[in-house]
Amino acid sequence: MDLSSIFDYTLIYATIRASTPILFAALAAVITQQGNILNIGTEGIMLTAAFVAVLVSYTTGSWVFALILAMAAGVLMALIMAVASIKYNADMTAIGTAINALALAVTKFGIKQFLGTTGSFTDPKIIGIPRINIPIFEGNKYLNGIFNNWSLMELLGIVMVLVLTFLLYRTVWGLRLRSVGHSPMAAETAGINVKKMKYQIMIISGILGGMAGAHLSIGYSKMFIENMTNGRGFMGVAAMFFGGANPVFAWIGSLLFGFIDSIGGRLQAYGWPSQFVLMQPYIITVLVLAISLWRKAKREEKAKSSLFVEK
Amino acid sequence: MKSSNKYINLLLTTLVSILIGAVIMLALGYNPIEAYIQLFKGAFVGKLNFGTTLQKFTPLLLTSIAFVISSRVGVSNVGVEGELYLGAIAAAWVGFTFKGVPGPILILLCLIVAIIIGAAWAYIPGSLRAYLGVNEVCVTILMNYVAIYITSYLVNGPLSAKTGVPQTPTIAEGAKLAKILKPSQASAGLFIAIAVVIIIYWILQKSTIGYKFTSVGLNPMYAQYVGISPQKTMINAMLLSGAVGGLAGALEVLGTYGYFLDNFSSGIAFDGMLAALIVKNDIKMVPFMAFFLAVLKSGALGMERYTGIPKSIVDTIIAIFIIFATMEDLFAFVQKRKAKKSEAATSGQN
Repeated sequence: MDLSSIFDYTLIYATIRASTPILFAALAAVITQQGNILNIGTEGIMLTAAFVAVLVSYTTGSWVFALILAMAAGVLMALIMAVASIKYNADMTAIGTAINALALAVTKFGIKQFLGTTGSFTDPKIIGIPRINIPIFEGNKYLNGIFNNWSLMELLGIVMVLVLTFLLYRTVWGLRLRSVGHSPMAAETAGINVKKMKYQIMIISGILGGMAGAHLSIGYSKMFIENMTNGRGFMGVAAMFFGGANPVFAWIGSLLFGFIDSIGGRLQAYGWPSQFVLMQPYIITVLVLAISLWRKAKREEKAKSSLFVEK
Repeated sequence: MKSSNKYINLLLTTLVSILIGAVIMLALGYNPIEAYIQLFKGAFVGKLNFGTTLQKFTPLLLTSIAFVISSRVGVSNVGVEGELYLGAIAAAWVGFTFKGVPGPILILLCLIVAIIIGAAWAYIPGSLRAYLGVNEVCVTILMNYVAIYITSYLVNGPLSAKTGVPQTPTIAEGAKLAKILKPSQASAGLFIAIAVVIIIYWILQKSTIGYKFTSVGLNPMYAQYVGISPQKTMINAMLLSGAVGGLAGALEVLGTYGYFLDNFSSGIAFDGMLAALIVKNDIKMVPFMAFFLAVLKSGALGMERYTGIPKSIVDTIIAIFIIFATMEDLFAFVQKRKAKKSEAATSGQN
């Protein structure tokens, strides 16, 4: 086996490519997690948006429309969750699971009803999100392979990481949001409208989840397949946990998932059982979760014994 | 008072969902009344149809009960799907490896191995939650993928029947459970499932173990104070939940398929979990809800065949049903009206 053909410069772009859908999903989970909402429904938001993006792109021939409507669909799904959980006191895990089930059913139904087929849909009339071609890079094999022909969304993903980091850690709104996540009662006392805040983050989560879905169906590929998210929304939630709800660390988590996914594909070509490679991100995330909480417990134990303070 | 409200809520939710389903069908130009009639026929009329309903009911019943068990201690075991897969492949392995063992013993052996594997798999998220406080929803979701990849590797590699299809060799004839209501795929596994559910009901409602589960679920601090270890109790509940999940997988292999097929489940345990969520983990209602979902699922096939309405519309109705069912305060107006009659009624509601 030739290791250099697996770990070569093309792996860099392959990693970015594979990680972007997960990154958007991770950001959708990050923003809600900062407000102490575990958004299990990311998967469903993403799947619905992916379907809407393909449907709109196919019927109108405009990727801009497709992206906008996909985000709108994402917001709609997120709002259903928000209304159910905030207004009607639904359990977030339950409503998230229900949203995922709804997305799966609605898209399955939609593909039959509106596109007249089952399973998967692809058509040359689907206009994809454009790629950025920089002619100067074309001369150099490495520059061309790594930096050229990025999808617009792959670039936007990195921009969104920076935007979210700024929003969360450099604005008053971000501070308020984090205080809502940390202690809703204290935030309420300080005059912050907690419910409004939660609606806002769910809407943002819907927009990000919508981008994730649109990228998956008309950026990453140009088709819709039943259940095409295939756990990427959950991976996003995992990447969020990996990064402790920090956008930059969540991005690193997504890159890790993307990296392992790309290697998995290549190793499979050499007859390796791809399953063992593919399960690594999940195992690593569980380990990261366990270790981070174990260290936290140790720290608290230490603090307790040195201070003699009863809780 | 409170419990009657719960049932009224459920009934209202059911009616509203059916109504919404009808509206969707009308909007798309289908006849909803005919659709529901065909749905009913598809689920009950004829041996094949009713058998299919029962065949779908068996794993739904067990997986929903598995979810209820862990919910008793306040832990959401979303990992039943993984336990189901691992239990299924374990049962298949025992079933086709020890062909010399006489039938009934082999069946018992298959079930026991599946139960142990399922419980062992659930031990991981259980102990992580109990001792470190790691969010069990996330861990179990992640571990589902690991479990599915493990079985996928095994069924494509070491345990493959080498027929080109990713499946294991067929289990020994003696290990197969008797089929009921031929030509459907329903099997005697149904009776095993019902027996297990009765035992679980007894454990949860009448035994000391169940009492411990409930105490920890309601108030872990109190439980600790009276000498019940919340950690151990949580893990025990997860072990029991995983065991039932593993059993559900084993019954699918021994009863329905006769071998392990890659990706055979396609979310059975998620449907089971939904059944449990709809009735808010009320163990008396869960079997009925599991049966109701099984009816909808198998009836949908008949509806699609005779009316041309895509069966995914039924999944949509189920999903809407669940969304409404999760909203605790949706039909609060019913409670409010009652509250007018007796003012104290709403004070304890939340």
